[in-house]
Amino acid sequence: MAAARAVLRQVFGQYPMWILFGLMYICAGGLMPDLLTAVNFQNTVVQGTVIGILSIGMTFVMLIGEIDLSIVSVAAFAPLMGVLSIQILGLPVLAALVLTVVVGAGVGLFNGLIIEKVRIPSLVQTLATWWILSGVVLVVTEGATKGGFPPEWNWLGSAYIGPIRVVLIFFVIFVIVVWYFSKNTKTGLRLYITGGNENSARAAGIPTSRIRILAFVLSGVIAAVAGYTLSARLAAISSRFGTEWLMPAIAAPVISGVSLTGGRGNIINVVAGAYIIQLIVQVIRMAGIGGYYSELTQGLLVFVAILIDTLRRRMMGIQE
Amino acid sequence: MNESVPLVRVESLSKDFGAIRALHDVSFQLEQGKILGLVGDNGAGKSTLLNILFGRLQPSSGKIYFEGEEVRFKDPSEAMKKGVAIAYQFLELVEIAPLWVNFFMGREITRKIGPFNLLDNKKMKSLTEQKLSQYGFKTNVDREVRELSGGQRHLLAVSKAIETNPKLLLLDEPFTGLSERVMKEIHVLLAKTKDEKNTSIIISTPWFDQISDLMDDVMVLTRGNIVGHWTRESADRLQIFRLTKTVLH
Repeated sequence: MAAARAVLRQVFGQYPMWILFGLMYICAGGLMPDLLTAVNFQNTVVQGTVIGILSIGMTFVMLIGEIDLSIVSVAAFAPLMGVLSIQILGLPVLAALVLTVVVGAGVGLFNGLIIEKVRIPSLVQTLATWWILSGVVLVVTEGATKGGFPPEWNWLGSAYIGPIRVVLIFFVIFVIVVWYFSKNTKTGLRLYITGGNENSARAAGIPTSRIRILAFVLSGVIAAVAGYTLSARLAAISSRFGTEWLMPAIAAPVISGVSLTGGRGNIINVVAGAYIIQLIVQVIRMAGIGGYYSELTQGLLVFVAILIDTLRRRMMGIQE
Repeated sequence: MNESVPLVRVESLSKDFGAIRALHDVSFQLEQGKILGLVGDNGAGKSTLLNILFGRLQPSSGKIYFEGEEVRFKDPSEAMKKGVAIAYQFLELVEIAPLWVNFFMGREITRKIGPFNLLDNKKMKSLTEQKLSQYGFKTNVDREVRELSGGQRHLLAVSKAIETNPKLLLLDEPFTGLSERVMKEIHVLLAKTKDEKNTSIIISTPWFDQISDLMDDVMVLTRGNIVGHWTRESADRLQIFRLTKTVLH
């Protein structure tokens, strides 16, 4: 009994976002029983993977007190390069996947180097990168949707193992690996320390510059992964690919307690935050609040979620 | 190491910040296993001197010899490699990180699991708890630093610097704002470190009485100038007090 209580306290104390998501899902399910069917549940969870992965990438730059607006353009650009390498150069799918990740890392490295060495604020630098890469994607696709990928490319997005979609299994493994990295490696810990107080970190002999650049490389790589999983699910890449996910990818870490000033945040909670936002989006879509009102409603709900979370944290005495 | 060579020798060190001369022609030396008190009022140049010795600031002119060899630390990591550690008055701790993370930051313990080097969080936590309680500081090491009192932060910062086993330990006003009890605890800690590890220590303070029991040598710094240098035996409390006070208008 005491042990059970300790576990409960651990969950409530450390992972409140999952409790909140669970409650919200049940409430939404009460209003829309469709949500409670296994198929729709899996759909919600699968659709949330894009915001989930992008949010995790965003979390790494937020941990060092920065932001990366370019992630949604990387999510289109990197897999587009991968696909083109198959269609034009005839690269095997596996090599194309490696290329996709390398492109994401390259963009992140570029962002990180400019931000760290030239001292351009991340908000401005990644805005420029976002713009440039969206431009490149538009030029390459000529505004059309690109498709016709080999089935191996789409396998991750379309295959099932038993009743469970492969993309979901991939997502769960991805989250666990990234979370484990953030908590159990020297580099992971140093991201937190550098974000918590860069001066102290440097005074302790931590190569803060390298750590900060690495945060951008990570967000680039993770954005590329997010883009690939989406392209594999949709079997297409469009010129507007991913744009709508930028605001959710910023909001999800914020409502999950990732400090915008750096040094604080838990990947596991970020995933729950991403799902809360995905649920809001989904409910609005299912409720038929279409077209012109959908964005407005989403924005308002996210605002309310952030407000409630901030008040909750203030009441619990948790400071930023 | 040759016993006759002092651990640190500073030769006519000066530091200008624009038109302001923070340090002027400062020379002194410090033997191994000795404690040097650096007494001076606010703005006397104590922190500037310590920051130069730690590689955070570059001197405008002058030379520093470490173990008889001329050094010029470009940044703190170079100083640390030579065996210099510092604990600051404005403590360089990560407020929002747990105690144990602060205690081990920059020298995290890892263990090899397969091809991976993973953090040994359990070991770091238990070692932090063990070391801190040795220093008379019993606490839950999962607490964040911002929850600690001023005295506890000082103890953490000082013990953390000692734990790196430095040859030269620099303490920038470690007693400011501390209760007498905590100050005594840090005194004991420093005396033990000096005796057991033969560490040389420089302690800056605005108040001579805070270090009079502890130091082997004392220097008074006034507006960037060394205006007096005594051994423990010859130190004249009243004169030091007067010299320190001169800048207090």
